[in-house]
Amino acid sequence: MKKLLVFSLLAVLLASPLAARGAAEQVTDEKPANKGTLEVVMGADARSLDPQRTNDQPSARVMKQIYETLMHQTEDLEIQPGLAESYEVVSPTEFLFTLKRGVKFHNGEELTSHDVKYTFERMREINAPAAFLVAALDRVEVIDDYNFKMVLNFPFGPFIAHLGHPATAIINRKAVEAAGEDYGRNPVGTGPFKFVEWRSGDAIVLERYDGYHKGPAMSERIRFRFIAEDTNRAIALETGEADIIYDVGPNDFGGLAANDALTTYQTVGLTTFYMGFNAEKKPFDDLRVRRAINLALDVELATEVAFQGYASAAKGPLAPTVMFANQDLPGYGYDPDEAKRLLAEAGYANGFTTSIWTNDNPIRIRYAEIFQEQLAQVGITTRIEIMEFAPYLDRTAQGEHDMFMLGWVAVTGDADYGLYSLFHSSQFGDAGNRTFWGNDEVDRLLDLAKESPDFAEREAAYARAQEIIFEEAPWVFLAFRDDLNATRAWVQGFVPHSAGHHGLYGVYNK
Amino acid sequence: MYRYIIRRLLLLIPVMLGVSFIVFSIMFFTPGDPAKIMLGERAPEAEVAALRTQMGLDDPFLVQFFNFVRNAVQGDFGRSLLTRRPVAEELFSRFPATIQLAATAVFIAVAIGIPVGIISAIRQYSFFDGAAMTLALVGVSMPNFWQGLMMILLFSVYLGWLPSSGIGTFWHLLMPAITLGTSSAALITRMTRSSMLEVIRQDYIRTARAKGLDERVVINRHALKNALIPVITVIGLQFGALLGGAVLTETVFAWPGVGRLMVDAIRQKDFPMVQAGVLLLAVAFSVVNLVVDILYAYIDPRIKAQYK
Repeated sequence: MKKLLVFSLLAVLLASPLAARGAAEQVTDEKPANKGTLEVVMGADARSLDPQRTNDQPSARVMKQIYETLMHQTEDLEIQPGLAESYEVVSPTEFLFTLKRGVKFHNGEELTSHDVKYTFERMREINAPAAFLVAALDRVEVIDDYNFKMVLNFPFGPFIAHLGHPATAIINRKAVEAAGEDYGRNPVGTGPFKFVEWRSGDAIVLERYDGYHKGPAMSERIRFRFIAEDTNRAIALETGEADIIYDVGPNDFGGLAANDALTTYQTVGLTTFYMGFNAEKKPFDDLRVRRAINLALDVELATEVAFQGYASAAKGPLAPTVMFANQDLPGYGYDPDEAKRLLAEAGYANGFTTSIWTNDNPIRIRYAEIFQEQLAQVGITTRIEIMEFAPYLDRTAQGEHDMFMLGWVAVTGDADYGLYSLFHSSQFGDAGNRTFWGNDEVDRLLDLAKESPDFAEREAAYARAQEIIFEEAPWVFLAFRDDLNATRAWVQGFVPHSAGHHGLYGVYNK
Repeated sequence: MYRYIIRRLLLLIPVMLGVSFIVFSIMFFTPGDPAKIMLGERAPEAEVAALRTQMGLDDPFLVQFFNFVRNAVQGDFGRSLLTRRPVAEELFSRFPATIQLAATAVFIAVAIGIPVGIISAIRQYSFFDGAAMTLALVGVSMPNFWQGLMMILLFSVYLGWLPSSGIGTFWHLLMPAITLGTSSAALITRMTRSSMLEVIRQDYIRTARAKGLDERVVINRHALKNALIPVITVIGLQFGALLGGAVLTETVFAWPGVGRLMVDAIRQKDFPMVQAGVLLLAVAFSVVNLVVDILYAYIDPRIKAQYK
């Protein structure tokens, strides 16, 4: 019996979260086990290190260290010169670029205009997943080794910004052709780290590239490891096996933040969560009903509950990090009495019966359940329908729904990506506008801002478009999700990038 | 004996054909268009259609199946839809990790299970027997992912003795192998015990004792050998199951094995990867079974006599 007793005591001790806490606090003064090598842990393996073969986040996070783009998008999504030292707008469809001199690929080749031409031609030829970013590009004309001209088919305002997206990284023809089909496992870029080794499902190792044109990086090596479980990533950080972990689980974040040996980062990302109305269907074709529902919902409370504090309530369609987000929108606030008045005015004094659709995402389901309760307060009876993601997308694209919950990531960091697909009337259905709501003035403004290369003009057009979208309420604006990352306190220089692909050039452990 | 082995290996061919047919049909009739997966959601319909034709996805089912088998026979299982790597290469780069983990787990399970089972049987209803059977019950019932997490908490977070995840050194292997091994150990313990209990009541054991043989010899030479047949069956089944089914443990310890690769492939509809992976696991399972059958022959000459 004694053994049994010992065992049950052990089990109780292990199950106690105190065991974890106590230990985590003991390691405050420790040094990194492997100085000079950054151990970075994320949730999934990369798919390919060929920027033109994939557009997934884990791959982008590795490629960001290996490759560079013509323009450089800072952590705050500002656009600065990258491999292109400067550019000149000749006309809305013509740009002259000058490349930085003396930039060398990891295979020793010097970067020239021919590489740029090759990059964008290959992108179209093999139909890269991110080719849509430069769909406006007609051709690249090489003037000499360091000067080239990009000619567009039509004016495209965010073009320069898109040249800062990691998927438009410049590649080298020789390297691509030498590796053939296996280029995705033998990447060659101009970035601060060069590729060493990839053990599938386990780790990718990069090494400092001493010939880097801005000077060598701070760390000698980076090892990206993949741990799928949120909790296990947090543990790897607590034990010091990881220097940096990406995408901390909301359940773990509080515990890590309380630990002095760690530094946590809670930053606003690019993701918008929303509940859309089917504006083609009754009663949601009535503006008063859409507004009434906005007023009937306590979005702030629901967001607090659904995201456990790791998101901010939205007042408009764009997260504040996105370029041209209108931050002066007042938000609807919570006013059930006004909601009831509007419903009565629209002829629904006794409410109506409708449905909220969502896929099997726990956060969205939680929102739907809270909203079901709150809508009942103003007389609206809702049924929640939960389905798998693929049929969910299909059926909402067909317009079979009443209200639906979705999210959108403005991956380019530009308002064009964050608004056009969702609110332009040419984008109904699969393309992104599942509310089937359209507005001539918004169409005009979105088109104008899409085409104009003029910053002030774009800014004004997007500001007005967001005002109209806010007033017309095709959505209930729900939340902007925070990005959660954490490092050991011994990690220096880490600045999370709003788009999630964090640069590690200046990051080191000491 | 050799003819038996060769015949069994030849039997693998129809088994593989059957398995491929089933897997191929399931993947064929599952919703999700491989061409669309490769090109992404945004791809224009015309390009998806062109790729479908190029990949032969518009051909009738039997034609596609025949092509698949023809390529597979030549060792070409296609490229992953997601990573564009040859799936055979990807699978074989992961398989050693899986074998390493499964073999160590089975070793641990056998090292614990057989001795504990024997002692429990010899001293039936003793304190040792009660404690061992209780622990075995706990071992069988404890979910692997929970046990894995608890071990990580104790040995990585609290004591700081072992790395919490990943692959590399012997120390990385220890916790996942123990996690898997203990649940198998529990099964093997129970199986050994009941099989031993049955055997030691047989007449020939009584005869052996009556001859005045040392009890150790009675147990080791006469009882154990006969009791081992069902135990080896269980060990073989466990090993086979671990080769494909250690997904949860692999996930908890970030162990880059085939199980996780397969689950990811299924979730993301990476058809070629799923097909090749299931085939690989089927081959592995069949080979393990064959080895078990051969082991029978070495343990029991009566069975050997039947293998012709």
